[in-house]
Amino acid sequence: MHKIGRRAALGALAATAFAGSAGAQARFQGRQLVSQGFGGPTQDVLQAVVFDVLDRREGCKSTQVPLQSAAAFARMRAEAAAPQLDMYQFSGGQEKLAAAEGLTAPLGQLANLADVPAAMKDAAGHWTTFAVIAEGILYRTDKVKTPPRSYKDFLDPAYDGHLAFPTITNGYGTDFLVMLARAFGGGEKNIEPGFAAMAKFAAGATIFRAASEVPGLFAQGDVWIMPYDSTSAKRCKDAGLPIAFAAPEEGSVASPCTVCVAAKSPNVELARAAVDQFISVESQTGIAESLQWAPTNARVRLTEALAKQLPRPDQLVTLDMVTMTQARPQWTERWNREIGH
Amino acid sequence: MDGKVEPRDRPLIQRRGAPVLLLAPVGALLLLLFVLPQAGMLAASLDAPRWSFAHYAHFLGDAHYLGVLGRSLLLGVLVVAVTLLLGLPLAYWLARLQSRWAPALLLLATFPLWISAVVRSFGWVVLLARSGLVSTALRDAGLVGRSFQLLYSMTGVVLALAQVLLPFMLLSLYGVIRAISPELERAAQNLGAGPLRAALLTTLPLAARGILSASLLVFALSVSAFATPSLVGGARVQLMSTTIYEQMTELADWPFAAAVAFILLAVVGFIAILYTRLGSGADGVARR
Repeated sequence: MHKIGRRAALGALAATAFAGSAGAQARFQGRQLVSQGFGGPTQDVLQAVVFDVLDRREGCKSTQVPLQSAAAFARMRAEAAAPQLDMYQFSGGQEKLAAAEGLTAPLGQLANLADVPAAMKDAAGHWTTFAVIAEGILYRTDKVKTPPRSYKDFLDPAYDGHLAFPTITNGYGTDFLVMLARAFGGGEKNIEPGFAAMAKFAAGATIFRAASEVPGLFAQGDVWIMPYDSTSAKRCKDAGLPIAFAAPEEGSVASPCTVCVAAKSPNVELARAAVDQFISVESQTGIAESLQWAPTNARVRLTEALAKQLPRPDQLVTLDMVTMTQARPQWTERWNREIGH
Repeated sequence: MDGKVEPRDRPLIQRRGAPVLLLAPVGALLLLLFVLPQAGMLAASLDAPRWSFAHYAHFLGDAHYLGVLGRSLLLGVLVVAVTLLLGLPLAYWLARLQSRWAPALLLLATFPLWISAVVRSFGWVVLLARSGLVSTALRDAGLVGRSFQLLYSMTGVVLALAQVLLPFMLLSLYGVIRAISPELERAAQNLGAGPLRAALLTTLPLAARGILSASLLVFALSVSAFATPSLVGGARVQLMSTTIYEQMTELADWPFAAAVAFILLAVVGFIAILYTRLGSGADGVARR
């Protein structure tokens, strides 16, 4: 452990220079790495600040195949014996399921892994968090005069017909249900108040599936308020929409983005190098600047202006993913019955 | 000459073993790529090797899932009705058209097939959304409320799917009607029937079997359609195909997804057999 810590302390620049030496070049020269990616602008950013950097240094060629987390996990499982994707990025807790089913390869001794706090990575070394996104409430500043303060605000009759929220199979949809339950005295282990609250406004609300729909929903004009994340709020603002992000008093949920390597991939070593790149100071800084996702490498130093805009992982709410994963099938069935009909 | 045909003079199809040889390539392909994977899925749906009907019981004993099955079948019926209503007159007109433009018009009618169903469905998403052309027009006309939209509704799915599947109905019916001689209608008119009555009494009964098989084709494509219902129906229109997808990818419950798939297969298969029975009946009527 001591040895890794010292090596890591050499700093990002030195590490890059070291890895760029002829030895590393020979290791992965001409090799191809295929990762699953989140699609859209997010995937483009990660390609530029993670994979392209890796490719330049190692002489390999990395590509990403867009798949949302749940679909990605289904593919990982289906291809368990002969993976076509070498590594996966998850944002819905699927890495824990994958590790439990033996679908992941251990990450081994990565130079940057020691700089990621223990709470942000797998104790058995099969996955690591590379970014944290803050969930909260997005609203139209021109239509909503008083910024929303609580998940209870979704029951305000003034928003009737102007609400949108993600379906339960979107990870944020499940988190929203749990946070509604928490707001009304329940929680992960007592979801009843969440369903009761959701049933009160679901009929007049727009239910959507993916982050890519968020700017369009706001742009159409009828949607004023929805639960989502700070990244989407920024994307809407960048597109010129009058959207702001509010952290509810029940707390902003931390949504961790993780990476892991497919167990039977023929490129395990290269994929590990890519994971290491994900959690490097250099790439994490790029991710923070372009996507405003909070870094997990403790050595990342950001400008004060940027740091202020980023979520603070230590101030975010962490949900009980184990309970939620176990309950997901029953919750989904009930949601389909009571909310999404 | 006793008229006996020497074995070597018989047509290929009557030679011993010929059917087996002719069917071998497609048979092998079907066995490898269809029957074997289906058998694997059937085993998974029965929880092999423990073997239980639990997933089937779960589906069939639950009013919610039976509602999903009912909605899928209703979707099939509605899409068949809409495409038949639009397709039959158009196919009749195209088939009887005496013009040098006829081939070009038929080509134009199949034009939607040149574009992916996903792209066409996205077009409907744009049209049917709350701020889309259709919803805005209805709202401005004062016919519907402020938050009205056809997107994420059963009506929207029927509309979009009917457009996507209309060429299948049209092409099937075109072929059927082309094969029926227009002389029959003229003969009927000679005997005193009006043009409409002549068409209804000669061409329509002769086309009945073709109409049934075209309807069956569109019905089967409708109940199993995924891309269009998923895009246009969203989370609110729950169908068999979207349920299978959700169980398969979102919840990773493959045995239940396989059971739902087999229930759909069995129901559609049963309906297809009923239809075929009906088809031979219709044929009998036409021949009389």
